[in-house]
Amino acid sequence: MPDTIQAPALPVGHYGYDQVDRAFLADRVEQFRDQVARRIAGTLSEDEFKPLRLMNGLYLQLHAYMLRIAIPYGVLDSRQMRELAHIARTYDRDYGHFTTRQNLQFNWIRLEDTPDILARLADVDMHAIQTSGNCIRNVTCDQFAGAAQDELVDPRVHAEILRQWSTLHPEFTFLPRKFKIAISGSPNDRVAARFHDIGLVAKPAPDGGTMFDVFVGGGMGRTPIVGVHLRDDLPEEDLLAYLEAMVRVYNEYGRRDNIYKARIKILVQALGTEGYRAKVDAEFAAMNRARYRLPPETVAAIRARFGTPDLHAPDDAAEQLARARRADPAFDRWVRTNTHPHRAPGHISAVISLKPAGGIPGDATSAQMDIIADLADRHAFGEIRVTHMQNLVLGHVRQDELHALWQALRAADLASANIGLIGDIIACPGLDYCSLANARSIPIAQKLSARFASPELQETIGPIEIKISGCINACGHHHAGHIGILGVDKKGEEFFQLTLGGSPGSDASVGQILGPALPEDATVDAIARLVDAYLVHRTGGERFLDTYRRLGAALFKDAVYATA
Amino acid sequence: MSDVRNNRREAGGSSVITANRLLDGRIVWQVAEGDWSTIIADARIIPNADIEAAIAQAAARQQADGLVGIYGVQVETDATPPVPVTVRERIRAFGPSVHPDFTPVAELEAHA
Amino acid sequence: MPLLENGRLVPDDWTTLDADAPLPATGPVIVPLSRLEEGLARPHGEKLGVAIPQDAEIDTLRTALPRLSLVAVTFPIFRDGRAFSQARALREHLHFTGEIRATGKPLPDQYEFLLRCGVSTVDLPPGSEPEVWARAHTRFRTAYQPSVLGERAEGVTLRRLLG
Repeated sequence: MPDTIQAPALPVGHYGYDQVDRAFLADRVEQFRDQVARRIAGTLSEDEFKPLRLMNGLYLQLHAYMLRIAIPYGVLDSRQMRELAHIARTYDRDYGHFTTRQNLQFNWIRLEDTPDILARLADVDMHAIQTSGNCIRNVTCDQFAGAAQDELVDPRVHAEILRQWSTLHPEFTFLPRKFKIAISGSPNDRVAARFHDIGLVAKPAPDGGTMFDVFVGGGMGRTPIVGVHLRDDLPEEDLLAYLEAMVRVYNEYGRRDNIYKARIKILVQALGTEGYRAKVDAEFAAMNRARYRLPPETVAAIRARFGTPDLHAPDDAAEQLARARRADPAFDRWVRTNTHPHRAPGHISAVISLKPAGGIPGDATSAQMDIIADLADRHAFGEIRVTHMQNLVLGHVRQDELHALWQALRAADLASANIGLIGDIIACPGLDYCSLANARSIPIAQKLSARFASPELQETIGPIEIKISGCINACGHHHAGHIGILGVDKKGEEFFQLTLGGSPGSDASVGQILGPALPEDATVDAIARLVDAYLVHRTGGERFLDTYRRLGAALFKDAVYATA
Repeated sequence: MSDVRNNRREAGGSSVITANRLLDGRIVWQVAEGDWSTIIADARIIPNADIEAAIAQAAARQQADGLVGIYGVQVETDATPPVPVTVRERIRAFGPSVHPDFTPVAELEAHA
Repeated sequence: MPLLENGRLVPDDWTTLDADAPLPATGPVIVPLSRLEEGLARPHGEKLGVAIPQDAEIDTLRTALPRLSLVAVTFPIFRDGRAFSQARALREHLHFTGEIRATGKPLPDQYEFLLRCGVSTVDLPPGSEPEVWARAHTRFRTAYQPSVLGERAEGVTLRRLLG
């Protein structure tokens, strides 16, 4: 590309590996190559191999192996994106799927290719470590980190510290169940901190450093629970020690007799917040605190491995953007729906929707990945973020370049103006791919987004989050959807249960079941009636969620179960 | 496999035997002992009265045959070639509904 | 069963007793936790070890620990990781310096984790291949977090230099 800016020495937005990190990854690839060889030779049984492959992100799904690749705190660079595109073309079927946990999945992988794929990933400082298994998973983060106007602390440096600390952690790799940590640095929670095993909210400390508010025991799945507030103002230097104590208590006391009661949320409920806190405090007091101390020099050293964007925009960047918006209503609409305010003058964050009307939420073809990588180089310092809504973000775009970016996205079918609107649906892979699923999620999402394809209609309906899970494991976050849709199996046929009133953010709430599950062919119509009822009953600029909270479920129940 | 859905069979019906191949994970259907196909139409149909014994026989040699997760799938009584009774197994047999071009038959032809 | 230490097979001088076997008056024996009092009643100077189940509270060993030369922790299945925390608590909370032995069914792929949690020997499960364990012993040169082994940090990073 002729106008590519000089690549900085360190990647913008994520930690830059050095030779030691690369040697570690190479060792890890060789370990897995050895494990695969032992499995094929038969010295490892499937039961023994399964947790080992899962800890390298390799599942056996319905049709083939699925490889889940970690995108730590949801940030990747253009070089990494191009490698993912290459893997999609070479080893899969030319596309990848971005997930609600800011990872990427390939659906048609062969076991025998996997060591080579992991080696290719390692070449660009990527891996699939701990993207599954009963261990600490990929740490998720705010997609507008380091860019958002409302942010107090960029949480990505601490997310990287947690990534490193949790990588092949000797004590916490065989926990009772999986363990998910999210971290935010903004008072406006965009990471669903209260729906994670541990949620951290970073904020400035009086001494100029960082401290954390800590939530624990949130989660979705079979038992949706909003996490409890464990403590405030955890000093940075105690971050790892305190997390060690929290996870130790879980490792020692979490249930192992029943997979459905094994998450930390069940332990916290069983002990009570005070009981759990007392055990954590006792461990925290007994442990060797000096050993686990996180000194400011370490934070600084890891921070120094992050590239920082050189944010300079022309003085009239905002004016140029305003002019372009006036001249082009379609662009103006996209800017309204698909951008987020940036802290630096003349800049803006742009959301690339992976939710075209009628499309598969979160899927991108290898050609689209390559285009996005090029656009990231041209407009965003080579940095790309994955959102838990299964979209992508270019964090640092000059306002005077936004129109050019939008035109390029539109040419690649990547400019759907629907972020936060009814077309921006979360869907897990569902029964089309997943061996756990009871019902197909994607076709419901496709029919809904096609039905509400009109951008005008979507803007009229306003902010609304529809989230679809194909089973009770809730990978599609249906409990946190304004409208949640859960696929259930009734004698081998698909049914869908609706929940209303869920919310992932600072006002976190768990959606309530509306009534009996609906057959597949009635679900989309029922949701359309539900949306119509909202449009009739809302007042002023009320969001769907607010109308529901004001009026309750009855009128929506009537609308959904009305017989025509 | 411990999935209860894999053992959902009626006394009177018929089933086919399925598994995933160890090396590439692809779904296969048992044609005869030691002989497997990616195409469900090739599968032998076994009365449910005999299916547990046939599954046990296949499972005993799964490492040698390079297979994992062997189980039985009930099929519609009159359908030839066999069609599984559940949505899940129909998706396994005929590919993801969201990619009509990714059927096992198409994949076989692409690699022929 | 073969005993592994530092990636190599070593002789095992210990006798492990079950709930019913008679307790020899002399020689190194490992008693189950339920027979700890009985073991402690032997003459001072006779080496004593205790085998604890995976759900035992480590703190219950506090008073007996000065008399113990060995604590055996166990993995009834390799996915049950409680013994990692038990071993770590023995070293970190109770400053135990004797032998910690892993029993049950750990996998060679867990060897580094065992060592870094304070385990010193592994009672290899039947059918183990010692050379696979030996490979696991030298697999990684770096770890990303401190451990009870107190490995040297690499500069100010989180990384620890192994081996």
